[in-house]
Amino acid sequence: MQFSIKFLEYVCTTDKVASIILVSLAILLEYLVWYQLQMVRIHTFAFRLVFVAEKMVARMVDLRSDTVTKPTEAMRAAMASAEVDDDVLGRDPSCFLLESEMAKIFGKEGAIFVPSGTMGNLISVLVHCDIRGSEVILGDNSHIHIYENGGIATIGGVHPRTVKNNEDGTMDIDLIEAAIRDPKGELVYPTTRLICLENTHGNSGGRCLSVEYTDRVGEVAKKHGLKLHIDGARIFNASVALGVPVDRLVQAADSVSVCLSKGLGAPVGSVIVGSNSFITKARRLRKTLGGGMRQVGILCAAALVALQENVGKLESDHNKAKLLADGLNEIKGLRVDTSSVETNIIYVEIEEGSRTTAAKLCKDLEDYGILLMPMSLSRLRIVFHHQISASDVQYALSCFEQAVNGVRNENGN
Amino acid sequence: MVARNVDLRSDTVTKPTEAMRIAMANAEVDDDVLGNDPTAFLLETEMARMMGKEAALFVPSGTMGNLICVLVHCDVRGSEVILGDNCHIYIYENGGIATIGGVHPRAVKNNDDGTMDIDLIEAAIRDPRGELLYPTTRLICLENTHANSGGRCLSVEYTDRVGEIAKKHGLKLHIDGARIFNASVALGVPLDRLVQAADSVSVCLSKGIGAPVGSVIVGSKNFIAKARRLRKTLGGGMRQIGILCAAALVGLQENVGKLESDHRKARLFADGLNEIKGLKVNASSVETNMIFIDIEEGTRTRAEKICKYLEERGVYVMQECSSRLRVVLHHQISASDVQYALSCFKVMMTTNHLTSCLMDPICAVLFL
Repeated sequence: MQFSIKFLEYVCTTDKVASIILVSLAILLEYLVWYQLQMVRIHTFAFRLVFVAEKMVARMVDLRSDTVTKPTEAMRAAMASAEVDDDVLGRDPSCFLLESEMAKIFGKEGAIFVPSGTMGNLISVLVHCDIRGSEVILGDNSHIHIYENGGIATIGGVHPRTVKNNEDGTMDIDLIEAAIRDPKGELVYPTTRLICLENTHGNSGGRCLSVEYTDRVGEVAKKHGLKLHIDGARIFNASVALGVPVDRLVQAADSVSVCLSKGLGAPVGSVIVGSNSFITKARRLRKTLGGGMRQVGILCAAALVALQENVGKLESDHNKAKLLADGLNEIKGLRVDTSSVETNIIYVEIEEGSRTTAAKLCKDLEDYGILLMPMSLSRLRIVFHHQISASDVQYALSCFEQAVNGVRNENGN
Repeated sequence: MVARNVDLRSDTVTKPTEAMRIAMANAEVDDDVLGNDPTAFLLETEMARMMGKEAALFVPSGTMGNLICVLVHCDVRGSEVILGDNCHIYIYENGGIATIGGVHPRAVKNNDDGTMDIDLIEAAIRDPRGELLYPTTRLICLENTHANSGGRCLSVEYTDRVGEIAKKHGLKLHIDGARIFNASVALGVPLDRLVQAADSVSVCLSKGIGAPVGSVIVGSKNFIAKARRLRKTLGGGMRQIGILCAAALVGLQENVGKLESDHRKARLFADGLNEIKGLKVNASSVETNMIFIDIEEGTRTRAEKICKYLEERGVYVMQECSSRLRVVLHHQISASDVQYALSCFKVMMTTNHLTSCLMDPICAVLFL
């Protein structure tokens, strides 16, 4: 502006027409410069916005499952220095330690480390039902029935008999009893040998089966000469939420499959617990299925750290889940049955009439770095674990708010 | 007294090296079921490349590797697989292909060198015209190196010929390549050329390669996609598996080059054993890292006794039967370990021989 004033002074002292033209040009030029400056400011603001947005996306809050937990520093150190040996030719010492510890914690005679919960359940069902023509009673919405490739049948030749799962993860006791095959009909029936429970019950939203219910099912099993297996992938969550020690919780069970790679945070593996004779058969079947690993102490060392350090953190996961559940329930367009949030899993319903779908919402939230699991057109699942912080919860809540009801900015993000 | 530990029971006993432990501690990992563990992905890509196949899949064990391969090739009920009557799948895998997979095994005689006669293989292939009574042959399995023959190598020419037979009859070919690296080194044939004729190969990383756990299956993309699903079904879908894959990658980089040395030590050992009165080793059959030791007839001592004696001195071997022992070399057995083990054998057999020489006349006198 100063330049133009001086120029104006100069021109005005000479030619009048020329001075008017030149002055006009000068003003135009000044305006254009001013305009550009504003554009730069707008662009700078936009860049900052993108930068912040990028920073947001650099933040990752993985709520898809508690299996995503990565090994901690302590676990990595334990794995690096683990004492190992060939667990097939003999016994890997770290594995032996873990198995002994797990058997003790669960109040069972023996334990065996397996690569996954799927193998844990598969082995347990197949060992209990080792005679051809066997049938197992399990929930129609249980993990074994829905998410394990039907392996008990396709691989194990065991026939599944489903009983309706209630919303709280239980099956009605009378329905279970009604499903037990009458031996008098054996010419046309398979032989029921096993009942399976799942605690916590994944598809019900991580609901806990009480110790009373478990004991009652155990009594029914005993009465009919059946075995009881508990898919205890998240049994520690149940124990913490119910305030019942794990060994009391699974007392009625002949076998339990316990995941170490979920809430406890180990990188790999599950452990089956049961009687000595059961575990001996399990070990053999584990080999047959291809789960006989050699210097497996590497993984067991991490699992031991998980047992020591992370069981105590489960309560906090449950608290965070409840907080998020309450917060999500307040968002218009979303609904959470908060009374069913007992542990670390939340099912989020997208209300009818909402502009978005589960898949779309998941995708939108992914842009913010939040990863979730879409379960159906209108349902999402969130699972908590110890690597989700309280601030992650707040962040997730605000992102949900944005994604469901928030204003969309220019970039459409 | 037992300060020394010379574990010759198997090459599976190898413990992770320092480099492996560091790699495991620093491995980049992720959930390999929900997505892809980056280190597992690296290993699988590398293995596929090395074996000249489209894709690869990490599995917890060689048993699962073979089980998955047989079951994927034979996914139609009523299938039959042709394999050696003395092969690992048939003898040492709990009959899983049948008990778990519902696949019928058709065993063909294994020769001393690990091969099966080509005409016997062809004769074992079911004639489709008899299908009302026959299962359907879908697969031929080879094993290279062949363990029960003493770690013998199947040549690339033999493998190719079996591959031609398979192709001619519309069958697949699977190679149990638990020790395929040993075969490749001993034969001087690159891995990818050696297994070119095969549709799938199962390769152990926890044996001579020295990784703590695992095997890798290689095959076509389509095959591996099915294998991944079956692996999950069998319970082999592990999560942050990069820990183990990191060690395997180190094994691949550092230990393939040491296999030649294992073979040399095996030959030295075999020659040394052959000089011991009472023991016999078919030295010409020692092609890689395995030795079968026969106790000569007329020798009083039994394999059990030798095993026990050696164990007391920190040397561990595998007893095959009452007159046969097995010894397997690996990179954690040094040249001095070999000498030590040999001397233990020597002392055992000499003492025993002397004792038995003395005992005989004494017994004769006492009991007459």
